[in-house]
Amino acid sequence: MYEFIAFYIFAIATTILFVITVMSKNVLYSMTSLAAGMVLISGFFFLLGADFLGVVQLIVYVGAVMALYAFAMMFFDATKNVKEKHQNPALVFLLGGLMALVFVIMFSAPVIGDNIQALYPIEDGVGNAQAVGMVLFTKYLVPFEVAAVMLLVAMIAGIILAGKKMDYSLTKSEAIDEEMNVELKKGEE
Amino acid sequence: MSLEQFKNRNVGTQNYVKLDLDHTPTSGWCQFKQVVKRTFKPELFVGLWVTLREMINALFRGKMHTTQYPFEKLPISPRYRAIHDMLRLLESGHYRCIGCGLCEKICIANCITMETRYDENQRKEVSEYTINFGRCIFCGYCAEVCPELAIVHGQRYETASEQRASFSLFEDMLTPIDQLNLQQEYQGFGAVSPNADENIKKTPLAY
Amino acid sequence: METATMLPEVTAAGVIIKAVLILAVIAAIAGFGTYIERKVLAFMQRRLGPQHVGPFGLLQLAADGIKLFTKEDIIPQHANKIIFAVAPVITAATAFIALAAVPVFPDFTIPLLDIYVPSIASDVNVGILFVLGMMAAGLYGPLLAGMAQANKWGIIGSARTAIQFLSYEVVTGLSILAPIMMVGSLSFVDFNNYQADGTWIVVYQPVAFVLFLIAGYAETNRTPFDLLEHEAEIVSGYVTEYSGMRWGLFFIGEYANMITIGVIASIVFLGGYNDFWIFPGWLMIIAKIAFSFFFMLWVRAAWPHIRPDQLMWLCWKVLMPLAVVNVVITGIVMMIVG
Repeated sequence: MYEFIAFYIFAIATTILFVITVMSKNVLYSMTSLAAGMVLISGFFFLLGADFLGVVQLIVYVGAVMALYAFAMMFFDATKNVKEKHQNPALVFLLGGLMALVFVIMFSAPVIGDNIQALYPIEDGVGNAQAVGMVLFTKYLVPFEVAAVMLLVAMIAGIILAGKKMDYSLTKSEAIDEEMNVELKKGEE
Repeated sequence: MSLEQFKNRNVGTQNYVKLDLDHTPTSGWCQFKQVVKRTFKPELFVGLWVTLREMINALFRGKMHTTQYPFEKLPISPRYRAIHDMLRLLESGHYRCIGCGLCEKICIANCITMETRYDENQRKEVSEYTINFGRCIFCGYCAEVCPELAIVHGQRYETASEQRASFSLFEDMLTPIDQLNLQQEYQGFGAVSPNADENIKKTPLAY
Repeated sequence: METATMLPEVTAAGVIIKAVLILAVIAAIAGFGTYIERKVLAFMQRRLGPQHVGPFGLLQLAADGIKLFTKEDIIPQHANKIIFAVAPVITAATAFIALAAVPVFPDFTIPLLDIYVPSIASDVNVGILFVLGMMAAGLYGPLLAGMAQANKWGIIGSARTAIQFLSYEVVTGLSILAPIMMVGSLSFVDFNNYQADGTWIVVYQPVAFVLFLIAGYAETNRTPFDLLEHEAEIVSGYVTEYSGMRWGLFFIGEYANMITIGVIASIVFLGGYNDFWIFPGWLMIIAKIAFSFFFMLWVRAAWPHIRPDQLMWLCWKVLMPLAVVNVVITGIVMMIVG
């Protein structure tokens, strides 16, 4: 009963928030609703008893949207509306509608065909974290490691791109050092 | 503090600890060494200890530094020129003012007004004496010129008032007759404050 | 666990009572924390602190509360009103939600109504991660507040929020990972039981403890790292335009977070609520949390701020490598020993 009510509250709130994310012209509104939607999605995981995934959703997406905020802060005046350019609204509408249709067919087909099977059903006595770990390090080991290497590559590339003048220090000055040496020697005499 | 100690002004060579100013590290290894050195030096904990020590001092050794001002006041120097007091003669309790009018004459702000008359003993009596504190610049000439030490500068430095006339009347400034024994003699200009000894500090001159 | 089955069933009413209890008590303690902070800082500077309202100034809290409630609620002209109003609520709410997974007060049964009130409002078996995640979600308060108020100091404050909290999330997570590996669970109860023999985890993991404390101070925006509202540099940072009760909510949230960090540090590293020598467990946990709160104030009195660039340097070049090395060494030792 409680789960039922909670599910519908979460579902409605999440849908509304993501609609705001898409429709709003204000950066601040859309990002805030995105973040709030992400947090609410973790509510579904908690409802399903997947505590670990719920918390991971919370931590990972909170951080990710925070980074988005950092970019938004640099590019936009957060309190003003963004003017969007629509070159060809009909085309956008058509493509968007088609994509939505494809998604609906993609996700509803298995449900209608009634052929969903749980490959890794929840076992008793195994905690959430263990279950996730088990799957990650057996069946999905290769994708997991490849993703890790990809992230590492991206990180190093980012550092190299950003860090051209990393050795240059604003506070360091050898001339000041020399002066200080002279002063210190004077003081000792 | 003895006189020899006091006269020794070579403060610069005594207790001053020279800072060990490191050079700006040039290489990564030097930076690393500096970080390690600064991390494991107990300097941070010295800071913690100092604050804790002061807390113990304040709470248990009675070294709280606060003066709870409206409730307690620090002694004020006799040189300070605050609101005037009119003193009384200790023997008879009569006010000391002889109505000579010197203070009124010398007052450069023209704020002292006095009226005198002869009483039945053919003595001069002060019938009216006011100081307009809206004008008074607290120069102290009146106290300096007074031949009888009758008008002096008192200890009352809180001059805020709702009305100008609040403390300008002769009766307000006059020592109350029941507090005659508490009346303090004027030390004169240049007198040191009562807690002057405690306040003496060396001035560090030879940096 | 065997002991869990012995306890009476947790009902919705019990959880609600528990939630109200946490909300009321922690909000009061958070308010009281401001009084403690002012007193301790005053004593450390040999001052008296608040002392005129009520006995020993204890009612200063009420006076401040009245002032905050009755103050005019100002929303700046060009500010984004909705976000401006929501931001303080996020800070306060997440701080209290984080406390849902933390064991506070023992469990008890209300006699007449026969309602069992558990010691943890919501016993998720990933308690530590939940608390950290909720504290991470709380960062949106300062961030949104700074961006919504159309003030340059606010923008700088929220930019600092983004970099500081994002960076120190990493250190908190990594530093607490080593104890998690040792215990093999994410539940606070398991951590407590692991230390039941009297050996605290801080003995095995001193580096992780120090890292966690540093990162915890950075995440609760306490003094050596309170760059978000550094008065000397950016007026008040993200709270520049706030006043009255909205401002007060930020502070309740901050003090609740301080208590949460104290709870995590005491349970994960300092032996939890086990009996110690002749002292009973409930006294020990209160003493530990109180000391960690006091230590935050002590540090505030003693140590200066650091610069933002030093903050980032410290996080990415010192603390994070140390935390990773600590995790690796813990793993190797665990492999060899057991």
